[in-house]
Amino acid sequence: MTAVDRYAGELGTPIQGVTLYSFTRAFHGREYDLEGLIRKVAADGYGPGLEVIGFSSFRGFPVIEDSFAGWFRDLVEEVGLVTTSLAVNADIGIHRDRLLTQDELIDYMTLQIQAAAKLGFPIARVQISITPDSMEALAPIAEQHGVTLALEVHADQYASHPRILALRDRFAQVRSPFLGFTMDWGATVSGFAPSLIEAYRRRGASEELLAQVTGLWDEFYQQGPPVDQADHGQRFGRFIALAAQNGRPDLGIDFGINGTGLFGSARVADWLEIMPWIRHVHGKFFGIDENGEEPSVPVRDLIRLLVENGYSGAISSEYEGWHWNHWQSPFEIIAGEQALQRSAAADAGSRMITDAGEARSLLQTHLAQPVRG
Amino acid sequence: MSAKSLEVLVIPDRIIEQGTLTTTGRRTAVEVRLPWYRALPGSCIAGAKLTIDGVEAPAESLRWRMNGREFDFSELADETGAWWFPTDSAVLSGELPVSPGREHEVRVDLTLFIPYIIISDTETLHIEEHDIKTMKAVAA
Repeated sequence: MTAVDRYAGELGTPIQGVTLYSFTRAFHGREYDLEGLIRKVAADGYGPGLEVIGFSSFRGFPVIEDSFAGWFRDLVEEVGLVTTSLAVNADIGIHRDRLLTQDELIDYMTLQIQAAAKLGFPIARVQISITPDSMEALAPIAEQHGVTLALEVHADQYASHPRILALRDRFAQVRSPFLGFTMDWGATVSGFAPSLIEAYRRRGASEELLAQVTGLWDEFYQQGPPVDQADHGQRFGRFIALAAQNGRPDLGIDFGINGTGLFGSARVADWLEIMPWIRHVHGKFFGIDENGEEPSVPVRDLIRLLVENGYSGAISSEYEGWHWNHWQSPFEIIAGEQALQRSAAADAGSRMITDAGEARSLLQTHLAQPVRG
Repeated sequence: MSAKSLEVLVIPDRIIEQGTLTTTGRRTAVEVRLPWYRALPGSCIAGAKLTIDGVEAPAESLRWRMNGREFDFSELADETGAWWFPTDSAVLSGELPVSPGREHEVRVDLTLFIPYIIISDTETLHIEEHDIKTMKAVAA
């Protein structure tokens, strides 16, 4: 049975969850330690799904002592959360003078896959810097530990980007149930985030400049995502030029990075290219407006797409507005986005899963087999 | 600056810990925080400058203390075993005469390599961040 067959005809029931990355500012600012943050996630109902970035939250990662793993698993169990994805990193440039060889990279990733298993995460989120060859080489290691590798499709490399299609085709060829994708909604954004515009306003950018910035992004959105790196580079350059023409060259790189690297301009339906391989979702978003809607991410359309294609894996709400939004608490904003997701699922004729027991059972069906840690 | 997909996920306003300037009169130190969301190994801490009241500490006098160990920057270059955790302070010190009990303008510049963002066949993204804060020096 293929993944497509499995989904045919049934509406999906995605599992609600959050990544601790959404709370980076609070954790980095020492307002909450790891235990305090996990307890808050559970108590305030951001779960049941819990995603963690290994190198952000676990001291000494990827080395995980047995006693720590036991403590972590007991805590997650006690508060009624369900571990979904452990975000891992391929630090190919860890030696300053050279990149890791393929063998070194496999060893580096194996340690992190073992850490995921030990901590009880059935998925490891990997990033675009991993090649199809490396993914293929990692598949048996993933299988050995019962950990699915879900490579993140993240702005600016959307689902139909040649690099993603090359990975998809390799997954299809390898036929390992342990290889798939993490869908990041940042690839299919529909507008420049108003909260970022507000942050530029607070940095003294004129209304005229800000209107031009959003106008330029809208122009690129109409054209669709960049066809190649040269096109991407030209768009980046247009943002820099715009800032310079308006007497704010200091903002140019920031406009370029956010306008091309954070707000991806592919359409929602682009995800259909890789839908059967989507194992995990980052519900990337930037803010919630006074009507409870996300003004720049088409959350309702994305949820409908997932539900109608039978997706019953986890969605980690991934709040990215913390980079610039210093004036609002992330906690209420994330609660607002999750309410929007639930409303969207209901509108699509389904529901989001918020019960931990139901979430555990669905995740086991959604993935190839349970994690062996 | 490459136009590759760069996640510039920095928290530069927190690099210098307020109220942590200490001095022996000749050697001066300040606590610094990682302006990034995840831990980085010593090998990715590519450089730092410590400047007080506009005077920069001599590069060869700079030392970096983290996890209870002290390094100079040439030692950090190959250090993939010691990691800077995002909630930890590191201590940057250098030879710089400073008067205790007085207010000083402290500037820290940091260059970090981001080991998983590769911007060409041979090149890793590096970011340069700085922070300036004014604080009273305390005798060490």
